[in-house]
Amino acid sequence: MAETKGKNTGRSLLHALFSLILPGLGQIILGEIQRGIILMSSIVSMGLIFIWRIELAGRHEPNFLDAFHKSLELKPVFISLVIIGLIAIWILNALDAYLHTKKGRRGGFNIFFLVIVVFFILGWEISEINPYKMITKAPEALTPLSRVLWPWKAAIAHKMETVSARAAVLSPCGENPPGRPKEVPGKPYIYVEPTCGELSKLDKNNKIIEGTTLTVFGKNFKPNSEVNLWWIDPIGNEFRLRQRGEYVVTKTDSQGNFKIKIIMPYRLMPPSAEGKQIHHVEARQQTPTGAVVINDPLKLTISRMIETIFMGMMATIFGIFFAIPISFLAARNLMSGSWITLTIYYMTRTVLNIVRSIEPLIWALIAVVWVGLGPFAGIIALSFHSVAALGKLYSEAIESIDPGPIEAIQATGATHLQTIMYAVVPQMIPPFVSFSIYRWDINVRMSTVIGLVGGGGIGFLLVQYIRLLDYRAAGIAVWFIALTVAMLDYVSAEIRRRFV
Amino acid sequence: MLVVENLSKTYEDGTRALRNVSFEVKDGEFLVIIGLSGSGKSTLLRCINRLIEPTEGRILWDGEDVTAADSAHLREIRRKIGMIFQHFNLVKRSSVLKNVLAGRLGYTNPIWSIINRFPTEDIELAYEALRQVGIEEKADKRADELSGGQQQRVGIARALVQDPKMILADEPVASLDPVLAHSILGYLEKMNQERKITVLCSLHYLDLVQKYATSVIGLRDGQVVYRGTREDIRRMTDREFKDIYGEEAERVSAGTLTGGRENG
Ligand SMILES: Nc1ncnc2c1ncn2[C@@H]1O[C@H](COP(=O)(O)OP(=O)(O)O)[C@@H](O)[C@H]1O
Ligand SMILES: [Mg+2]
Repeated sequence: MAETKGKNTGRSLLHALFSLILPGLGQIILGEIQRGIILMSSIVSMGLIFIWRIELAGRHEPNFLDAFHKSLELKPVFISLVIIGLIAIWILNALDAYLHTKKGRRGGFNIFFLVIVVFFILGWEISEINPYKMITKAPEALTPLSRVLWPWKAAIAHKMETVSARAAVLSPCGENPPGRPKEVPGKPYIYVEPTCGELSKLDKNNKIIEGTTLTVFGKNFKPNSEVNLWWIDPIGNEFRLRQRGEYVVTKTDSQGNFKIKIIMPYRLMPPSAEGKQIHHVEARQQTPTGAVVINDPLKLTISRMIETIFMGMMATIFGIFFAIPISFLAARNLMSGSWITLTIYYMTRTVLNIVRSIEPLIWALIAVVWVGLGPFAGIIALSFHSVAALGKLYSEAIESIDPGPIEAIQATGATHLQTIMYAVVPQMIPPFVSFSIYRWDINVRMSTVIGLVGGGGIGFLLVQYIRLLDYRAAGIAVWFIALTVAMLDYVSAEIRRRFV
Repeated sequence: MLVVENLSKTYEDGTRALRNVSFEVKDGEFLVIIGLSGSGKSTLLRCINRLIEPTEGRILWDGEDVTAADSAHLREIRRKIGMIFQHFNLVKRSSVLKNVLAGRLGYTNPIWSIINRFPTEDIELAYEALRQVGIEEKADKRADELSGGQQQRVGIARALVQDPKMILADEPVASLDPVLAHSILGYLEKMNQERKITVLCSLHYLDLVQKYATSVIGLRDGQVVYRGTREDIRRMTDREFKDIYGEEAERVSAGTLTGGRENG
C-alpha cells in the first residue's frame, strides 16, 4: 500500500517535471492527450504572440533585449501582466500534471480559466482597446453624431441675393491714378483712399512686407449686416481678402455705411503683367431673399434613393427570371427519376450553394472591374446572389408541393399541361410571390451596401459624403435609407401576408 | 362491368403491394374494399384508373382494356371515373368553384381551360353539383376555408361534374368523424342508387360496410382473402371482421350516429 503510494508520488513528480520542461507534455504522457495538446498549443501560441507584440513595440531597436526594454517602457502593465500570467500558467500546468496523476481525473483545478485571462489580456492589447480615449474623446464624436442624427439644416437653404460695389486701385502708384467710381443714387457704392499703392511683397526669406493700407468707404448697403471684401486682380482672379490669416469682414451701420482699412494683398503677377496695373476692391453683401431652395445633398439623395430602389427591383426581376428554370433543376422530387437527372440536380445544387455563399459585396467588386462603377455593376452583383438565393427557395417550394391535388386532377382526365396549371401552379404562386417580394426587400437593403464599393445607388453617395466629412449630407442619406428600408419592410410584409 | 384479372403491382423498391388480384364488379354495385392499412387498397384503386401503373394483369371496363389504353384513350376513360380521396386532395388555395370545375378538365378544350375559361354549361354543372352536396353558397370561398366534411363534399362535387359511370373512393371518410362519415357515404349511396354509378370504396368501419356495401372484398398483403355478398356481410360478426381486417378494426358507436348533425 505504502509502496504503491510512493510509486504514485514518484510518477506524479515525473509527469510534473515533463510539464515543466514542455507544458502539456506531462498530461499527454499520463493519457489526457486533449488536455495536454490544448495546454501546449495555448502556451506556445501565447508565447509567440507575446514575442510578436514585443518586437512590434520595439521595432526600431537593434535586438530583442532592447526591444523588450523599449516595450516594457511603453506598456509596463501589459508586459508584466502577461509575464506573470505565463509564469503562473507554466507552474500551474506542472501542478496540474502532478495532481492529475496523483488523484485521477477529478483532481486539480481549472487552469483554463487562467489561459482565457491571458488571452484576454493579449487581445486587449492587440485590438488597441482604449476606454480612456473613448471617454475623453467622446465630445468629438458629438458633433458628427448630432449632424448625422439631425441633418435637415443641410437639406434646404435660403436663396441668397448678392449686392456688390467695386472701386479701382492702381499699383504701383504713377500718373493718373483712378478717381472715385461714379455714384448711382440708391445703389451700393464704395470708394478707396488712396486710389493707388504698393501690393504686399515677399522678401528673400519669404517674409511678407506689407503693402499700402487703403481705407474703404461704403454706403447704400443693407444696414447692420456683414460685408465681405474681395480683391480682383488685373487678370480677373477674384479672392476673398485676408488680413493676417483672417477674412476681412465688416458690418454696416444703421444707415448702411461702413468704413474699413485693408492692406493691399500679395499677388504673384505673371511676367507679362509687369508694370502699372489696375486692381479692384469689391465689397459684397449676401442676404437671404426669403425663398427656399432644396439643397444638392437632398436632391442627390432622393435621386439616388430612387436609383437604389430600381436597382433592387431590376436585380430581383433578373433573379426571378433565371431562378425559375434553375429551380426546377434543383428540385429533388422532379429530378430523382434517373441518375442523369440526379447528377444535374446535385450539380445545380452545388453551384447554387457556392454562388449563394459568396457575399454580394464580393460580386460587386468583381462586377465593378467588369462593367465599371455604377448601378449596373450593383445590379449584376445583386442578380447573381438573387438567382442563387431564389433558386434555392423556389426549388424548396417545388419540393414541398402537395402531390394530392396533382393526383386528383390527373384522375379527372386532364392533360399534363392542365395538371400543371391546375394543381402545380396554384400551389407555387404564393411561395414564389412571397419569396420574390422578400428578395426585393433584401436587394434594396443590400444595394445600399453595394454602393459602398462602387455599385451605384445611395451607398455610393453616402460613402462620398463620409469621405468628405460632410456629416449632414451623410445624415440625410442615412435617414433616407432607414426610411426606405422601413417602408419596404412594411410593404413586403403586408403583401406576403395577403398572399400566404 | 369492371373486370380485374390477375392484377399485380410491385413498386420500384420491391414492395409487392398487389399479388394476382382478380374480381368483378357489376354495373351499379357498391363494392367495399376492406383490409389492414398497407394491405394494398389504395394501390388497387389507383391501378384501376392507372394513376399507378400495374406491373401485371389486365383491367377491362365495359369491354375496353384500360391497361392497354394509350394516353389519349386513358384520359377519355379517366374522365368517366370520378375519384374521391381520404385527404380530399383539393387545391387548397383555389376557390371551391374552381376545384369543382377541375372535374370538367377532361371535357374542355385544353387551350381555353389553361387560361381559366370554361363553357357556361360547365359552370352551370359545377353549381348544380355543389347544390346537390348542399354547399352552393361556398362556391367563392377558398377551399382551405372549409371544414373537413365540406371539403369532402367539394371532392364529391368534383367527381359529380365528370358525369362518371364509376367512382373510386379511397377511404373517403377516414379523416372525418362518424357523423360526417354517414353524411358523405349517404351522397355516394344516393349517386349509386339514383344514377346507377358503380362505386368502389375502401372503408374502415364494419357498421359502415354493413350499411352501404352491396358486395365486399377483403385484402391482406396484396391478396384477396375475402369475398362476400351483401347478405354475407350482414351476418358477419365483429370477430370475423377483425380476422380479415385486423385488430384495429372498429365499429362506429351507434350513439354518435343519432347524436349531432354536421354543422355548416
Ligand atoms: N410509392 C410507393 N413506393 C413503394 N411502396 C409503396 C408505395 N406506395 C405504397 N407502397 C407500399 O405498398 C403497400 C400497399 O400500400 P397501400 O396501397 O397504400 O395500402 P393501403 O391503402 O391498404 O393502406 C404498403 O406496404 C406500402 O408501404
Ligand atoms: Mg391507403
